[in-house]
Amino acid sequence: MRSPVLRTAAFRMALWQAALFALAGAALLGIVWLRINDYAQDELRGKVATEMASLRQADADGTLVMQLRQRLAALPAGPDYYLLTDAQQRVMAGNLRYRPTAVGWHVLPLLGAIGKDNSDADRVHLYVAHFPDGRWLVVGRDNRSVVELGEVLSDSFIDVGALAIVLVLLGGGWASWRYLRRIDTLGARAERVLEGAQELPLVGSGHGDELDRLAARLNRLLERMQVLMEGMRQVSNDIAHDLRTPLARTRQRLEASLADGMDAPCLRQAIGEAVGDIDDLLATFRALLRIASVEARQRHSGFEMIDLSALFEDVAETYRPVAEDSDHPFEAHIAAGQRLHGDRALLTQMLVNLVENALHHTPMRSRLRLELQVQADAVIGRVTDRGPGIPPESHAQVLKRFVRLDSSRNLPGAGLGLALVAAISDLHGIGLVLGDAMPGLMVELHFPRARLG
Amino acid sequence: MKILIVEDDHAMATHIAAGLHPRHRHVERVADGYQGLSLMARAHYDLLIVDRMLPKLDGLSLVRELRASGRETPVLMVSALGEVDARVEGLEAGVDDYLTKPFAMTELNARVDALARRPRLGEPATRRRVADLELDRLTRTVRRAGRTIELQPREFRLLDYLMSHAGRVVTRAMLLEHVWEFHFEPQTSVVETHISRLRAKIDRDFDGELLHTVRGVGYSLRAAH
Repeated sequence: MRSPVLRTAAFRMALWQAALFALAGAALLGIVWLRINDYAQDELRGKVATEMASLRQADADGTLVMQLRQRLAALPAGPDYYLLTDAQQRVMAGNLRYRPTAVGWHVLPLLGAIGKDNSDADRVHLYVAHFPDGRWLVVGRDNRSVVELGEVLSDSFIDVGALAIVLVLLGGGWASWRYLRRIDTLGARAERVLEGAQELPLVGSGHGDELDRLAARLNRLLERMQVLMEGMRQVSNDIAHDLRTPLARTRQRLEASLADGMDAPCLRQAIGEAVGDIDDLLATFRALLRIASVEARQRHSGFEMIDLSALFEDVAETYRPVAEDSDHPFEAHIAAGQRLHGDRALLTQMLVNLVENALHHTPMRSRLRLELQVQADAVIGRVTDRGPGIPPESHAQVLKRFVRLDSSRNLPGAGLGLALVAAISDLHGIGLVLGDAMPGLMVELHFPRARLG
Repeated sequence: MKILIVEDDHAMATHIAAGLHPRHRHVERVADGYQGLSLMARAHYDLLIVDRMLPKLDGLSLVRELRASGRETPVLMVSALGEVDARVEGLEAGVDDYLTKPFAMTELNARVDALARRPRLGEPATRRRVADLELDRLTRTVRRAGRTIELQPREFRLLDYLMSHAGRVVTRAMLLEHVWEFHFEPQTSVVETHISRLRAKIDRDFDGELLHTVRGVGYSLRAAH
């Protein structure tokens, strides 16, 4: 089993980087070598040409042979080679085995040119001149300086390259190790959250780097999951507590009707009442399922651009007569042309629930107002009644399932209306604010700017 | 009228078959989707009542197969899945109406009636007439006995729907779905309120009541006998 550091993506990347680096280094070496080779060769030929010129001068002065011998004696193993022959190619002076046949530049293998090997050089550059009297003069220089330069160059490239690769691998290993440590920390925390520890949020390094962003996303994921898990637990609790009571009541009613002495009309009435109870239960059940399905819903599936103003107008048109019939003066002030990205059916139900709540929980003749307002580029929906209102300390409470305030215990309903409103507004990212209308309740819907059309 | 019920729950199938109005008593029953599909291929039915969750071939797939083979038989789907999304899925598969379990038999009968007589092809009529009540969908005007009646937009839609189902019973739920597009049960008397306003406008000052309340079921618009 390889070390986990070696198995990280970061380390694999470092390996690739090292390989790429080596490749780039080799290419660079090649290019530098070619350039330097050219340059050194030009230098070499320049020196040969200078030497040739100086020897021609010596020939003119009549000191050619003497000068040649002097030079050869001074540096017997040096890089310079000379040859002077007469017209019949008999050697007059020099250390070359080569016999000239044509004037100009020649490049020969060292071994063939001087008859002996030299470890530092492999070639010799020769310049051949032919004097008018038939003599040949050859001046040459081997490439030992070029070869030595090449060796020095490749040695230093290999040293630097090896060092760089080692550094890249070390750096990669270190980065991977750090990466791994942070990822493991995140993972371990997420694991603990999954196991039920209340350990939120995950913290990043604070650099705002990709891992921090990942941590933030994981946080949102875990938060959502906790909400869902909490919701699930609450639904189970709700079902246990709030559905059992009416079920027990129905059962009692039916059991009592089994008793002797009940005549047919009494039985019919008991059955009718039981059916009514069951219908209420089914309605509660439906509402619960609906809340759960809204809460668990895939975010924004089925959303479309809808005409929010028209939706408000529709609800106003539908409920104005209902309000008037129950003696609630109704007024609507709806800004035109507002659009929202959302689910039409759910938004309609949210608004209907708010309006119906206001109708149910307020006495006759109390005014009801439905508004859609555009305020300094915020869009706010508002349902205001003039009823008893909800004390501020209960505002958060009434958004939960099955919560009914004492003042409304005698009214029909299961206490699910506002819970559904909360679920729908949460799904849409709508800010739901309960306020005091002094007197009365004011419910504000702060539509998110990002979703407005 | 020949009706095929595809429902795997025997008690439910029996309940539906027994509860259907006597005029729909020509009923056959099968218990899974494959049998339903093969029966549909062999014989003609006027209406199909399909449960959504069925063994072998589920209700949605059955309806898709049916529609893919070009059959336009009206389909009423009954399902315990009542969420709007589930409904939309059903309608997209080619279901004509969708009823959530549990339901009252009166509701089922009203919907079966509505489906059975619904014109399946062609343009919807632009003018409707019941007795001396006329509605023009193009000019959006309503007249009774030659007198123009002013209606609110929602009242117009309500009357339009009632007139398109003239002579039949429409339930509150049907009205909520089609006139208000409410797929939930409002806690206030929305339908009753609007019906009573509409009634005041089209019936009160005229001879012969047209808009009738069918107790415990819904409403019916029809000429007085």
